[in-house]
Amino acid sequence: MNLDYNEEQVMLREQIQKFCESEYDFYKREDIVKSKDDFDVNVWQLFADQGWLSMPFSEESGGLGFGAIELSILFEEFGKALVIEPYLSTVVLSGTMLDRSNFADKNELISKICAGDMHISFAYAEVNKTYDYSSVNTTLDSSNVLNGTKTLVLNGSNAHKLIVSCTKDGELVLVILDSDMDGVSMNSFSTVDGQSCSEISFENVKLTDDHVIASGDEANNLIKDSINLATLCVSAEAVGLMESCYFKTLEYTKGREQFGQPISNFQVLQHRMVDMFIESELAKSLLIKAMLEVNNKSDEMYKHVSALKSYIGKSGKTSAKEAVQLHGGMGVSEELMIGHYLKKMISIDALFGNSDFHLRQIT
Amino acid sequence: MDINFTKEDIAFRDEVREWLANDYPKHVKDKTDNGIALTRQDMVDYHKAISKKGWMGYNWPVEYGGTGWSSTQLYIFNKEFGLAGCPPLLAFGVSMVAPVIWTFGNDEQKERFLPDILNFDTWWCQGYSEPGSGSDLASLKTKAVLEGDHYIVNGAKTWTTLAQNADWIFCLVRTDNSGIKQEGISFLLIDMKTPGIEVKPIITIDGEHEVNSVFFSDVKVPAENLVGEEGKGWTYAKFLLAHERFGIAGVGASMRQLNRLKEIIAKLDNSELQRKVNELEIGLSAIEITELRLLSALENGGHPGAESSILKIKGTEMQQNLSELFVEAAGEYALMYPGPHGYESNDKPAGPDYAAEGLSGFLNLRKTSIYGGSNEIQKNILSKFVLGV
Repeated sequence: MNLDYNEEQVMLREQIQKFCESEYDFYKREDIVKSKDDFDVNVWQLFADQGWLSMPFSEESGGLGFGAIELSILFEEFGKALVIEPYLSTVVLSGTMLDRSNFADKNELISKICAGDMHISFAYAEVNKTYDYSSVNTTLDSSNVLNGTKTLVLNGSNAHKLIVSCTKDGELVLVILDSDMDGVSMNSFSTVDGQSCSEISFENVKLTDDHVIASGDEANNLIKDSINLATLCVSAEAVGLMESCYFKTLEYTKGREQFGQPISNFQVLQHRMVDMFIESELAKSLLIKAMLEVNNKSDEMYKHVSALKSYIGKSGKTSAKEAVQLHGGMGVSEELMIGHYLKKMISIDALFGNSDFHLRQIT
Repeated sequence: MDINFTKEDIAFRDEVREWLANDYPKHVKDKTDNGIALTRQDMVDYHKAISKKGWMGYNWPVEYGGTGWSSTQLYIFNKEFGLAGCPPLLAFGVSMVAPVIWTFGNDEQKERFLPDILNFDTWWCQGYSEPGSGSDLASLKTKAVLEGDHYIVNGAKTWTTLAQNADWIFCLVRTDNSGIKQEGISFLLIDMKTPGIEVKPIITIDGEHEVNSVFFSDVKVPAENLVGEEGKGWTYAKFLLAHERFGIAGVGASMRQLNRLKEIIAKLDNSELQRKVNELEIGLSAIEITELRLLSALENGGHPGAESSILKIKGTEMQQNLSELFVEAAGEYALMYPGPHGYESNDKPAGPDYAAEGLSGFLNLRKTSIYGGSNEIQKNILSKFVLGV
């Protein structure tokens, strides 16, 4: 047994940390959020140059062949810096799904993703379909005409292509199409954590068999594994965020003086910060378990990802709320990162099944 | 990263399981499985069976007759005993006073005390807490004055676990009042048969007689029973606490309780309880992996740091929360309580078997967040060593 990260993994983490410190500080992030663009294309290109966009793809598809451990490291660090670039959407949800599929054009698409030239969004969610992504109302008729509405499509407005889950003759089907095809219309809005998503309608969009990625069980499994990996990634993001909430709160209370002394001298605050530390460590432990199970593609991986997601949904939110409280008035100011951590935590809990949903999956 | 045990460790686990299946004394197993309290003789039989297998010195170096096990082996041993529902091993002799004796004691003391501990021929208890000294242990007042070749001991110890069964007690006593409170403390070994010692039971809220008050009135203790140097007792006490904390998370025992709880809940069709059980299952997994992380660090040459305090806090909370769910699962039957020895009487109360047992566990396990450095003290430790405040 050895639960230490290996040398390459430690180096990867340091590389990402250095990048976030020098290229992605809080002010830079604020500028990106406030700009008219949903993310920074230059930052995205830097991701490509560092090889991060190629990380999880198999070597046969032109990727680096990294697994769930490296992705978790990346997302932990992204969580600390509150990175808003659409890695989750393009690389994790759509890219790894294509990589696992038998789709004819997948290598070409993946190489464009790796180069930073293409965004693909996965339209998996529909209204009133709480977290069951295998049940959809969007249809593909016998002449391959697509009709339906997808909601909360992450980074939908920037996607060159869309992967859409639909049913054909009662069977689940995954199709991929250009986002500017006739019949595709989009209503885009920003999310609480500074990203963007879209509600997308498909009205008599004419597709062919060449648009089909997979159908039946194959489609179902592709969706399940893609969502599972994305769930692990946002959970890792939450773990990084919890660590930051703890560190920044500790730093703040050591510097903030009231009653003639640093407020970190007060035991009531110390014990609350100890609780934040403990929760962060326990969440890390569940992350280690879940990422190893996903890495080994074990039968138990869904259960352990659910355990992690359920846990961070609760304890992550608690940590972020405590961080706001212990920062006092500054905690609710837009000028500090702390409030943005809370907003990020809310969005993480809402994605791919919230804490309660995943708690039920444990049974 | 690799979360799996080595082949050798798996083989060791199987050896432990084999012993539990074949050599764990049957009369002890029967009573324990049915929630019946063990007698002194039962406990002696149980420990002697472990001695016979050569496992009593589970955390001892080989040179003193111990197993010389790795941290991982020790973890497996603890976990398997917990999973099998065995009573926790009495720590006072083997893992508390013994490491102090072999580290700070003289050769004569090692020869005199260690073999008896290994064979469970002496039952030790711990004389630490006093009526006025709980979390602030260093304020202790029990006085030992050297007169000729004896110390004369006067004072009172409290919360002394199973003192009524003990042959010996290791005590922190005050030998000097002049300096700061930590510096005047010494570590003394006292024969419980010495005249002037009186043991009075303290009955706890579960109805059990587990802890005691121990009074010392002019008790004559040979000076040769002082361990190490006079005035250095506080150092030895802190050393001892580090040994005490390992395995305190009780992951194996909690897993057993969780599995039993899952069986019970499966028959109840109660989604609220199911939800709480699921929460505990996730929490226990987090504790388990945290302990494995500690183990991995130890195996790779690291030192136990904050993890042991985390494990104490979360492990004991888990034990308490599990026991509380047994009580909740009993529903209205939880109001019946035959006492800790429940079904020894002929009148078997109505309701499910786990009703009384759950309540006895719930009441008894209140102690876990209080002893071994209360959970609030653990948070003070974490504040100091992790937060740096």
